[in-house]
Amino acid sequence: MTVEALSAAEGGTDAVASAPPSGARQVWRRLRGQRAALAGGAVIALFVLVAVAAPLLAAIEGQDTTSYHAGLVDSASGGVPLGTFGGVSGSHWLGVEPGTGRDLFARLVYGSRISLIVAFGATVLQVLLGVLLGLAAGLGNRFLDGLLSRITDVFVTMPALIFAIALLAVVPDGFPRPVLLMLVLGLLAWGGIAKIVRAQVLTLKSLDYVAASRLGGSGPWRTARRELLPALVAPVVTYAAILLPSNIVSEAGLSFLGIGVTPPTPSWGQMLSSASTWYQADSAYVLLPAVLLFVTVLAFTVFADGVRTALDPRVASRLRVGTGRRKQAKADAGSSGTVSPEAVASGKVSPDVAEPETASRKAVTGE
Amino acid sequence: MRHLSFTSRRIGVIAVGLALAGGAVACGPKSGDDAKSGSDGKPKQGGTLYVLNNQAQEDFDPARLYTSGGGNVPSLVYRTLTTRNRADGAAGSKVVPDLATTTGEPSKDATVWTYHLKDGLKYEDGSPITTADIKYDIERSFAPELSGGAPYLRDWLEGAADYQGPYKDPKGLSAIETPDAKTIVFHLNKPEGEFPLLATQTSFAPVPKAKDTGTKYAAHPVSSGPYKVISNENNGEHIVLKRNPNWSAATDDQRKAYPDTIDVQSGLDQAVINQRLSAGVGKDADAVTTDTNLGPAELAKVTGDKNLAKRVGTGHFGYTDYIAFNPKVKPFDNIKVREAIAYAVNRTTVINAQGGSSLNEPATTFLPAQASFGYTPYDPFPAGKTGDPAKAKELLKEAGYPNGLTVSLTHDVTKGDEQGPEVATAVQEALKAAGITVKLDGQEHAAFSDKIHTLKTEPGFFLTGWGADWPSGGPFLGPIFDGRQIVDNGANFNNAQLDDASVNSEIDAINKITDLKAAAVRWGALDKKIGEQALTVPLWHPVYKRLFGKNIKNVVISDWTGVLDISQVAVK
Amino acid sequence: MTRFLLRRLFQAAVVLVVLAAVLYACFYLAPGDAARLACGPKCNTAQITQIRGQMGLDDPVYVQFWHFLSGIVAGHDYSTGTDVLHCPAPCLGQSYRTGELVTTMIGQKLPATASLAFGAMVLWLVIGVGTGLLSALRRGTVTERLLTGFTLVGTATPVFITGILLLLVFCSWLQWLPYPSYVPLTEDPQQWAWNLLLAWLALALVEAAKYARLTRSSMLETLAEDHIRTFRAYGVGERAIVVRHALRGALTPVIALSALDLGTMFGGALLTETLFNIPGLGQQLVQSVQIKDVPVVVGIVLVMGLAVVVANAVADVLYAVADRRVVLA
Repeated sequence: MTVEALSAAEGGTDAVASAPPSGARQVWRRLRGQRAALAGGAVIALFVLVAVAAPLLAAIEGQDTTSYHAGLVDSASGGVPLGTFGGVSGSHWLGVEPGTGRDLFARLVYGSRISLIVAFGATVLQVLLGVLLGLAAGLGNRFLDGLLSRITDVFVTMPALIFAIALLAVVPDGFPRPVLLMLVLGLLAWGGIAKIVRAQVLTLKSLDYVAASRLGGSGPWRTARRELLPALVAPVVTYAAILLPSNIVSEAGLSFLGIGVTPPTPSWGQMLSSASTWYQADSAYVLLPAVLLFVTVLAFTVFADGVRTALDPRVASRLRVGTGRRKQAKADAGSSGTVSPEAVASGKVSPDVAEPETASRKAVTGE
Repeated sequence: MRHLSFTSRRIGVIAVGLALAGGAVACGPKSGDDAKSGSDGKPKQGGTLYVLNNQAQEDFDPARLYTSGGGNVPSLVYRTLTTRNRADGAAGSKVVPDLATTTGEPSKDATVWTYHLKDGLKYEDGSPITTADIKYDIERSFAPELSGGAPYLRDWLEGAADYQGPYKDPKGLSAIETPDAKTIVFHLNKPEGEFPLLATQTSFAPVPKAKDTGTKYAAHPVSSGPYKVISNENNGEHIVLKRNPNWSAATDDQRKAYPDTIDVQSGLDQAVINQRLSAGVGKDADAVTTDTNLGPAELAKVTGDKNLAKRVGTGHFGYTDYIAFNPKVKPFDNIKVREAIAYAVNRTTVINAQGGSSLNEPATTFLPAQASFGYTPYDPFPAGKTGDPAKAKELLKEAGYPNGLTVSLTHDVTKGDEQGPEVATAVQEALKAAGITVKLDGQEHAAFSDKIHTLKTEPGFFLTGWGADWPSGGPFLGPIFDGRQIVDNGANFNNAQLDDASVNSEIDAINKITDLKAAAVRWGALDKKIGEQALTVPLWHPVYKRLFGKNIKNVVISDWTGVLDISQVAVK
Repeated sequence: MTRFLLRRLFQAAVVLVVLAAVLYACFYLAPGDAARLACGPKCNTAQITQIRGQMGLDDPVYVQFWHFLSGIVAGHDYSTGTDVLHCPAPCLGQSYRTGELVTTMIGQKLPATASLAFGAMVLWLVIGVGTGLLSALRRGTVTERLLTGFTLVGTATPVFITGILLLLVFCSWLQWLPYPSYVPLTEDPQQWAWNLLLAWLALALVEAAKYARLTRSSMLETLAEDHIRTFRAYGVGERAIVVRHALRGALTPVIALSALDLGTMFGGALLTETLFNIPGLGQQLVQSVQIKDVPVVVGIVLVMGLAVVVANAVADVLYAVADRRVVLA
């Protein structure tokens, strides 16, 4: 058995493979049955709402993101906010930033916009690229498949965070940062999704109805559109749902390293990064962005898991232990690469979640 | 990177400090209850002094070092013709003889300077120090292989502009004469009354030709000072110095040299340095730092802890952080626009962004607030503590911008840097009130310094700073406002590209004065005159606040360096 | 087996060279001048020209890249002006900024990175395998819920958040630990561990969850295998079965995955190193990228890539030993 066929076959046994096309209503019903996923969804909805309504919320509080309040910080003591919990008051609901006295509530709600926009944009880009290249590899001839697979391997292997840093350092400063972050994350981390799509296509190609369509004279792209794309929806949606929180983390990580969005635009990662020097003098300043990021990523993770289970009820939750159907060890290990943030940071911006473990391992060595 | 103590601004530009997570709060076990600290008790000889630094002492070769007053660590190994007075405060900004018997005998027009060496001067190997060796080190500093030193001599010495150093041109510099082993005569191409101040730099240290190993000399230099180099690892990251038995206190009334050993460990994170000094566990009780300020968050802790507050040394180094304009770029060609910005700036928020009022004093003059610089208080555009946006709007209207205008402010993206994003956003916010929309143009550290010092790429409106190579108005106003110092080689510091005949001739006139006090008065007057042209907006003068260990005695902080002088410190 | 390994190493080498080329190209196109970086801002044009010549920056980018590649195999001599600096193979070039050999720099930074990676691995194995075994042997809702929660939190927390929270709690509120300041193992082993503890924990907490899950399922699977059942039928005690027979089989995938993660950690703990002031490869890389010190960046990336490749090979071998179903094509 060749490696390709092996990984394809293993892909076939895994979660995302050939889920029976099920109606949207059925998926929704299954999703509704999962309380955790619903809670996650609710939190996400809330965050989206907050992001959309950021100007309104700031206006209700009566503050903005950039106004300095020199009177609210103790200049002689390095600019630590006056008052308790980082200067919490009726007019500054979550306190103020040390040094500048800028309103933290306003900065946090506006910051959610950057996180969400960058993460959504990057995910869309990753999905588009991944599906296109995966389809091309799966449907193309041996040469094209080989070439695209090698390219995919390079992208999966390379330390994406390092490349992101390098790219961010290289691109001229005039370029709008959120767009740049989207592009960098999107262009670097499509490898995982491409591999999955390719594996799916290889499996599907051998199925009767696809073969029949091809025999019936349909060209490869027509086959792709008519027969393959619908079958790819479930795995791609699942994977995208997992990519989203990892993109949020990546954006925060880059901003944390000081190469994300530029000031005075607030972002959670950037706030966390400046807060990291203040954690003793003003711990409220650290806790706010940290907790928000944590809750957001948690919500997305739980929700993604719910979506996955809803799309293909035959597989157990990746997150729940013991209550789901027991899976074999290797497949379980496969779910390991998930959204482990350091792994994300380390270059696997694409978490090899839905892939069987062996395939993801092969990917890393460029096999 | 905050401020570099022993270096000039130019060095500061080179040193790349990426304080990514720098300045974190020191925490952990509290500093203990023993209040014994500071300068109580008589200093005694012996022990080991530890120096915990952020920036490595790179280029330890005396020809490559670019120091103010001979530097802190280098000055322990290299004696120079003259040196800075090792005294607290303003007295410390005086120049005094070191190897030489006087600070220099000038000719009438200050173009010829003569020095005689003291008797009994020896290297670490016991051989005598000669003036030929001083001449040789100066020649080495011209060698492209040993780049890095101060550029003054190339401009000042007669016929030295194209000299390529003793390796390529062993004939040497004819502008320096050594009629005998104890006499050295410098012939300058123009009057320079401040020559004795320049002679404090390490290019005026002796290097015996026979022991010169070129680029490797820094690893094992031949000491003329109270300590000799035992080891120098990783290009100055860890330097260990031990007492030099051939140094004699009788010939050196400046260096106290109490400790037997001095161990300089660099490359430490700034937060780590402050944590270690405040905890003071074990050897760290005998430690100091010469380059790491307390960060803003650390200040909050120190102010609340009496024992710690006692162990903070406060110093002033002649330095000004300012907004620079390039009047060749529109709309900054219009003085009204520049004045409007000067009025609109809110120095309180700017200073808060830079660590607050304990670490910075608001500046309205370009010259630092010290007598030796010729400080003359003035404020041509009185904006008060928080700016005067109304007056700024008025000026903008007069300038033809009744509806405000949009400009771009170039800054360094390095977090916590003096030219960093925090300061830039504070300026941005302050100008907003005056109807000026500021777009931030953040540049990576090296690219930033490249951009602002190259004529072709110099932006119209940017943050920068200037430090003194020695405490006088000359090295402060000359490079920034002398029209003949506009250079098209990527090292232009005359940001305004000012070439004003009256300014140039006044600079020449002051340079002829060998009475430094009289010269200072003239520098102050010149500063005021230039200040009215609104070519810069001075923002603040930094204050150094640095911790020292519990056992440290005899803390001396001069206004020349602003940092505790490790040649004075004792650990016993 | 050997053929398989060789083939894999060859392919990995190709990937690494491609990576290096892409990095080179990226930085070559970036604004900024390496000669200026080497010389400092107050260099005049003549000095810069000389340095550019010395550094070979006048050559086309592919020639520079070729010099870089050939240096890895054959070494390289650099002129410093007064004498020649020999860079023995494998030569990764010379830092533009400090002129130090990249291999020397990496040698200095490697111990810190290795300390972080190995220490974290020990911790995550202890925490992860311990929890995993516990929940496999004591199957019940409580351990399963705990593990579920653990997995969830481990999955959702970026390491820099775990790290900051650990600092906040242990270093600021409880004041049990010093603010981390890296001390080399050779200097003071106790201080070494004490100062690295929080960084290890931050990484281990994030990683341990997946190890717990892997251990658990792997253990359950092994316990269900025929030979174990046979032991049981012969009346071997449960304890002996677990310790002597099941554990070995069950832990192989855990060790293999550890090898893999260890490799990643060598190249990946940038954020951890930055947050905890660990002077390792990651921190150096971030700094060098920002000042565009290309040889250092490329050198470190190659070493990191190599670590991943080696780790993968080790993991492969372990897998092959553990599971004969993996076909070595």
